[in-house]
Amino acid sequence: MTLGLFTQILVNGLIMGGIYAMVASGFTLTLGVVKIFNFAQGQFYMLGAYVCFGVVTALGMPYPVALLASFVSMFLLGALFYFGVIHKTLASGFFHTWLITVSFGTIIGQGALLTFGNKAGVMPAVIEGAYNIGGVIIPQGKLLVIGGAIIIMVALYYFMRTKIGTSMLAAAENVGVAGLMGINATQVFWVTTAVGCALCGFAGGLIAPVFAASLFMGQTILMKALFVVMVGGMGSMSGALIAAFLVGIAESFGFQYVGQWDLILIFGFIAVLLYFKPGGLIGKPLPLPGE
Amino acid sequence: MTRNQRICFAVFFLLMIPVPWLLGPFMTQIVILVITSGMLALAFTHTLKCGLLRFDIAGWWAVGGYTTAVLTTKYGVSFWLSMLIGGLIAVAIGYLIFIVAIPRGMIAFFMVGMVVAMIITQVFSASEYFGGWGGIANIPPPSIGSFQFISKPSLYYLGLALLALQLFVLLLLYNSRIGRAWSAIGGGLKLAKSLGIDIVKYRMVNVLVGNFFLALLGSYYAAYSLSVSPMSFSTGVSINVMVAVLIGGMFHSISAPFIGSAILYFIPEYLRSTGEFSSIILALITIFIILFMPMGLLGLFDRWVMPLIFRLTKRYPPGMQPA
Repeated sequence: MTLGLFTQILVNGLIMGGIYAMVASGFTLTLGVVKIFNFAQGQFYMLGAYVCFGVVTALGMPYPVALLASFVSMFLLGALFYFGVIHKTLASGFFHTWLITVSFGTIIGQGALLTFGNKAGVMPAVIEGAYNIGGVIIPQGKLLVIGGAIIIMVALYYFMRTKIGTSMLAAAENVGVAGLMGINATQVFWVTTAVGCALCGFAGGLIAPVFAASLFMGQTILMKALFVVMVGGMGSMSGALIAAFLVGIAESFGFQYVGQWDLILIFGFIAVLLYFKPGGLIGKPLPLPGE
Repeated sequence: MTRNQRICFAVFFLLMIPVPWLLGPFMTQIVILVITSGMLALAFTHTLKCGLLRFDIAGWWAVGGYTTAVLTTKYGVSFWLSMLIGGLIAVAIGYLIFIVAIPRGMIAFFMVGMVVAMIITQVFSASEYFGGWGGIANIPPPSIGSFQFISKPSLYYLGLALLALQLFVLLLLYNSRIGRAWSAIGGGLKLAKSLGIDIVKYRMVNVLVGNFFLALLGSYYAAYSLSVSPMSFSTGVSINVMVAVLIGGMFHSISAPFIGSAILYFIPEYLRSTGEFSSIILALITIFIILFMPMGLLGLFDRWVMPLIFRLTKRYPPGMQPA
């Protein structure tokens, strides 16, 4: 294998790893704190990419504004999602909240199909240039995605140290006792759901200039996010980051060499890993609902 | 089985026997589809009884279907033997996967189930041996002697026999020591632990029994459609099954799957005129049901109709006597 091809595959793996890290940490945060399995997150990711595409091409805004727009709009939609349907269902249990997220995802997906039609949203590259290091060419647009992903993960790390972040962790441990300590459970829950959705929207906005926005991009992302959660350990942000890059790189190289069998091989490795380390690679897992 | 269950069982199957003559071939086909979907949902409520939600229904269904398809087309094995082998394969693979997943609790089981179902479909679509995305066609119909199960009524009776077998085994289990242990686990993990029940072991037995019946159903589906392809075993099947259970009422593990499946089959027929909006409307109906009648139709029945019946007949179940 030439060095150029190797670098290309590695960079693609790192890009997907950054995306998986954001989606998976949003997912695991929502599951750990609010105790809902948000099946609609793939659709939020897709919608974030379309918002970014629309703001850049239709409104002619610069890319950073578009990225901010996809973050904020998905945050607001997530809050609407929480207060519209989830809040009243939380008492009914896991099965009902899960089916609510499935239905909401269907509505978003079908609505997007009716609105945008079945065509990909190809938007212009943000940065045209490329680094040339000893004959190996690395496009700057792809590095931007990795950088953006790392920045947002660091920001999330510091967000979890703030008052609202620690309230989230407290509510994840025990909602009743957190309430006695003066934590408003509803506030924590809606912020967590909205942050989880906003992370997905931001990931979609980051990926939109590199790979075009399409209606089907949200369908498999949740499965990759589940891989990341299984490897990294539930509720561990650093574990999610490392595991996401591992899964992204493994998938990228796997697709090069074994084609369609890549996911199957990754799942085999994860099954063996879980057999020996049931809590994931790193971190203390958040308590799970129902047990 | 208790006496009431035996009576209901007999009456139900006596009513179902003349269906092909009464309703005609088109309705018979619909009834076959409803029964198939209902049996899938029965496997879901069966596992729900011990507090686990399964998302891998389509996966094990596919394992059964593909086993029958491969064995009958490539190796000339008879349908009945391939049905049994498919069930055993689903149990064996399921044991290897669930021995990791079940001790980690309900959410981990659910997540692993979702991934497993997708991986199984991926294996079938990636491999040339299983026919890729096109699947396997020209499966020979099942036969006994010279009689072939190819007409709709004969396939209907085959499905009804399968349903009778599944219901019979499940009802026997529910009234045995194992079934009571499952109910205790579903009622509360701490309660079950305090009774000395080995939770992982009993949940494993429950899930593997479900796997076996799902694989049998897969074989039946292969015999019914005479071809299998990865598209017919997608995640959407598992989700439809859960919506059916939701509509019926999730705490009625025997009757709710069939009521829900029948309703879920007829809703899209009425929504056909709305065209591309139909799936959005179905999703809105689901949200409406979750918000306003979370226990489903039979839950409404329990809440509004049963008290009236008790009051009229003056026969109250234990614990429900008026003060």
